[in-house]
Amino acid sequence: MVETSYIPKDLEEALRLRKETGAKPIAGGTDLMVAHRRGTGVVPKFPWPVMIVSQLAVFKGIRLEDGEVSIGAGCTCHEIEVSELVPWPVRMAASLMGAQSLRNLATIGGNVCNASPKADLPVPLLMLDARLELASVSGIRQISLNDFLVGPKKTALRDDELLMRVIIPAVNPAFTYLWYRKIGTRRANAISKLSLCAAITIDTEGMVTDFRSASGAAGPRIARNRMVEEMLIGIPITDIEERLPAFLDAYDGILAPQAMPEYRRSSTRRMLEHFLRTAVTRPAHGIIE
Amino acid sequence: MVREIQFRLNGKDVSVICDPLKRLLDVLREDLGMVGTKEACGEGECGACSVLRDGAIVTTCMIPMGAVQGCEITTIEGLRETERGKCLIEAFADGGAVQCGFCIPGMVIAAESLLASNPHPTNEQIRHGISGNLCRCTGYDLIVDSIRLASERGNGLW
Amino acid sequence: MRETPIGTPIRRLDAISKASGTQMYLSDYRFDGMLYSRMVRSTVARGRIAAINMPPLPDGYYFITHKDIPEGGVNELYMIKKDYRCFAEGDVRYIGETIGLLVGPDRGVLLDLEQGIVIEYEEGVPSISIEEGLACKGGPFVGDRNLFCDFTIDKGNIDEVLAKAYRVVEDEINTGWQEHVHLETNAAVAEKEGDKFIINISCQCPFYVRKSVAGLMNRPFEDIIVRQTTTGGAFGGKEHFPDILAGPLLVAVNKIGKPIQLVFDRHEDGAFSVKRHPSRTRFKTALDKDGNILGMDIDVVYNAGAYESCSYVVLQRGVFHAAGVYTIPVTRVRGRAVATNTFPSDAFRGFGAPQTLFAIEVHMCHLANELGIDPLELKKRYFNKKGDITVTNGHINDTVVLSEMLQQVMEASGYAQKAATYKPGSGKGIGISFYNHGGAFTGNGEQMIIKAKAKLHRRADGIVAILVGSTEMGQGLQTALAKIVARVLDVDQDRVVYDNPDTSCVADSGPTVASRSTMIVGKLLERAALEMKERWEEPGEIITQAEYQHPEGYPWDQSTFQGDAYITYGWGVCAVEVEVDPLTREVITKGVWSSHDVGVPIDELVVKGQIHGGIIQSLGYAAMEKLENTAKKGFKQVGLSDYIIPTSMDFPAQTATLVHNPYPYGPFGAKGMGELVFNGASAAFIDAVSRAVDTEIRSIPIPPETLTELMKHGA
Ligand SMILES: Cc1cc2nc3c(=O)[nH]c(=O)nc-3n(C[C@H](O)[C@H](O)[C@H](O)COP(=O)(O)OP(=O)(O)OC[C@H]3O[C@@H](n4cnc5c(N)ncnc54)[C@H](O)[C@@H]3O)c2cc1C
Ligand code: FES
Ligand code: FES
Repeated sequence: MVETSYIPKDLEEALRLRKETGAKPIAGGTDLMVAHRRGTGVVPKFPWPVMIVSQLAVFKGIRLEDGEVSIGAGCTCHEIEVSELVPWPVRMAASLMGAQSLRNLATIGGNVCNASPKADLPVPLLMLDARLELASVSGIRQISLNDFLVGPKKTALRDDELLMRVIIPAVNPAFTYLWYRKIGTRRANAISKLSLCAAITIDTEGMVTDFRSASGAAGPRIARNRMVEEMLIGIPITDIEERLPAFLDAYDGILAPQAMPEYRRSSTRRMLEHFLRTAVTRPAHGIIE
Repeated sequence: MVREIQFRLNGKDVSVICDPLKRLLDVLREDLGMVGTKEACGEGECGACSVLRDGAIVTTCMIPMGAVQGCEITTIEGLRETERGKCLIEAFADGGAVQCGFCIPGMVIAAESLLASNPHPTNEQIRHGISGNLCRCTGYDLIVDSIRLASERGNGLW
Repeated sequence: MRETPIGTPIRRLDAISKASGTQMYLSDYRFDGMLYSRMVRSTVARGRIAAINMPPLPDGYYFITHKDIPEGGVNELYMIKKDYRCFAEGDVRYIGETIGLLVGPDRGVLLDLEQGIVIEYEEGVPSISIEEGLACKGGPFVGDRNLFCDFTIDKGNIDEVLAKAYRVVEDEINTGWQEHVHLETNAAVAEKEGDKFIINISCQCPFYVRKSVAGLMNRPFEDIIVRQTTTGGAFGGKEHFPDILAGPLLVAVNKIGKPIQLVFDRHEDGAFSVKRHPSRTRFKTALDKDGNILGMDIDVVYNAGAYESCSYVVLQRGVFHAAGVYTIPVTRVRGRAVATNTFPSDAFRGFGAPQTLFAIEVHMCHLANELGIDPLELKKRYFNKKGDITVTNGHINDTVVLSEMLQQVMEASGYAQKAATYKPGSGKGIGISFYNHGGAFTGNGEQMIIKAKAKLHRRADGIVAILVGSTEMGQGLQTALAKIVARVLDVDQDRVVYDNPDTSCVADSGPTVASRSTMIVGKLLERAALEMKERWEEPGEIITQAEYQHPEGYPWDQSTFQGDAYITYGWGVCAVEVEVDPLTREVITKGVWSSHDVGVPIDELVVKGQIHGGIIQSLGYAAMEKLENTAKKGFKQVGLSDYIIPTSMDFPAQTATLVHNPYPYGPFGAKGMGELVFNGASAAFIDAVSRAVDTEIRSIPIPPETLTELMKHGA
């Protein structure tokens, strides 16, 4: 008889099961157990075999490796939120997901692999050029998060693969100013209505050497576009004001909100405007609110 | 397709034979008779089904039994037998935290989870600590007051 | 020795059991041989059932429909009228109407069976909104105008006043659906004991449940026993709605003979239960050239949904509260409850008053804007005073202490200074609202319809049991009533017990609604206790009873709606301060201050809990609780991830004060207050937001995306 659920005892077994049965991993279960629930007293039913992986230590751990931050796919939002190794915007995003009880369960692997356009962690991760390490019985490969997130609820994960870890490359020189803002449906325990993560690097001459921004819940995919970002790179910070209208229009062009378009577009505009204008004033503190 | 799953529940070893995908909430309430843990949404939103798993607050409506193997689970039934639990329950009663009561066992669990990591929280920290527990009756103020009362009274307990 | 005041808090009777998780709620009980059930409901808003194609039912599974109603029974649930069917038969009127009940031992199998049922419909064209209902979209289905009721009350001659006015200001205010979100969903277990039917049910009104199903079952009342189980919140959502569970369950139990449980999951409770009535209130207000209000013509329409249920009564309360706490010289109020193909609207804390009170408060602000004065200045000029004539040509009988309450709120909130410094459009705003709530049933309902009774029993063991049908649903009634009895008898609090009612044992003290239970039932118990005290020395058991007596001198004519709609009111003032985030338009509430006149609080902590909870529910109503309905899918926001209610982080700690204003006919001077506290915060919030963004707001709720649209286009 074909089993519908497995509890692999190590990675090897998990990868083998993945290959042979196509079983999907349940990590925190906060997406899967909810999506497939059948009510009180009824066991959730999945259209494919599943395996519970939350017990596997191989998915755990946050480490610094060659200057890059490696976050195990099974790390919970809580673990990320309290880790000093993790870059600030990712910690912020993790700390604002759900509530404490959710953050104790929900994993970064689940958040990334679920590929919801409203997912919070991929927003700063995409901005930070994060890569993913995927494993299968035939080996290990890396892929950029950008290439991994194909569309709403669609990823480049192959049927025999598991996500092992998320790798955040070092940013050198460090960003001068950072922004993260989540607008939830309420002030806590809320799914994003919109989010924006942005960063700017200004050198000692006052030149913008890097600028990045990513938007969550503003289209079928987390939005980021290097060409639009480059409109602000290589100019003196004092010229930002001049470039702002064209930049904001171009940024608007990469958003594709289905619902509340006016709100999502105009709020994004105001947040970017605010972030950049504040950066021009060169405040002492690196995190702009 | 059942399996034997062993874990510690309120300080005692238990073993349950069930489908590993069955929700911990159903096992607690229906198989083990621990009905103090409530179900009010079944989708992780309300916190009524909260318990402590290895000391951390989790919502049992989203946890498959397979993920409970080897864990230490504390429900309101276990907490109420402890000094901390008693202190919290008394403070909830004296502070007027209880109305319809349906959210309250989950709130007590959230309060324990909070005080265990932060024995003297500010009001803001208390609000943050219970923000995953919805209450439709109280408007939260008297719950916040009661948790502060427990934190004061329980000097040293946490 | 000076006695402690009655209001000094005691520990609630139910606090320890609830906090320690020992208190059992319906879904915590297991009955021998218990079966489970699932409702099968209409998936179209309007149509005829052409065919029901059933998957094969395994042994031990049943599908119960109107065909199973016992002989002589009628397919109806008797609420206020007998128009509400137990099972749809022939046609369906709304998405979620009960068609049948699947019963069997395994909940997974029931779910599969439900998903396997294919119902074919000949679909009609439904009406969903108030406008569609009034326009009889798809043809009328209630009378020839889709109106359950349409009535008008006049004070003076509004036509004359409008004709001679210096100017007339028109306005329209809308409010949306609101879901109760009692944390415990609807739940019941029905069973048979001998030849009696038993319903264990989470409900407010056990005697209502009994009345609603007697005709369906073709049985006398005594054959149906309703036992309230500890109720995890209700807010009006368990006033008539439990009847919808009880009816099909009893029909099933009659056929199957075993105990059957029906517990809604959260999505069912969200999608398929009653809601607060959406409303549209239009004003034509006549002003003279000095800016005095000469009169108001008010047109109130509530969306009642597909069955009348208690909509006529809800609407009456809305109409009688339409002028708010203001004495307007001349008024006309017209009320209509329009039928639409939506889930029937029903009772919800405030029972029709919150909609019109919200409307009048917002309208008064708009008038003040027109006149260029602070809304507070305008409102103060028209405050009700004792002896003033109401919209029903009765009198305000209370000594109204709104000025004193206002003073308290002004001091606590710093209103005057903030209102002066926060410029319109500055992103900061403070708002204030005034409200009241008529105590107990409208008019002479207590005397003519309810005729409440209350019973006390000193048992052989010396314990005094309160035997009334009134229910604890979280509001603290057990504590309040037990406190009254213990205080009168002068016995220790733990000598008085008050168990969840069982209709076969307790007196019918009327439904637990209308903020009437402390004020009316508490008074009856006070009288029963006084009698018991006189007989205290008698040996053995003692039973005393009291029946409702209407105070003399408060005339009311129910056929014309003229006279004293309420003998007394609770009164409230609320101020709310907000900041609107300039980037995201999120509204951050900075402060909430209130003062209430509840007569005399029976327990200050219980009252405080009601105030804080009621105000947050009201703020949620205005700020975030968006509930949309579409013809194809019904309610859209049905789970708690979509239907957004406040968390502990959404609103700050409140400051609430009370004034002491004893009501002569209430126990220890107490008046009703459970609904009052819902009636005003939403208007104060909207006043504050309007000022902060310098934009008039005419509709709630107002999440940031709606606010953004409004600010762009103007109201
Ligand atoms: C109440 C509540 C609040 C929430 N709030 C937020 C919020 O604020 N922000 C937000 O972004 N999300 C939120 N979510 C959604 C959810 O919690 C997150 O997406 C979470 O990170 C998912 O992680 P998980 O481990 O629970 O995922 P699971 O449900 O276990 O898995 C999700 C998906 O990822 C796959 N997956 C998991 N691990 C791996 C792996 N190692 N390799 C390959 N595939 C894998 C699974 O197969 C599945 O397809 C909320 C959910 C709930 C119930
Ligand atoms: S029942 Fe689990 S969070 Fe609501
Ligand atoms: S006390 Fe009723 S939901 Fe919290």
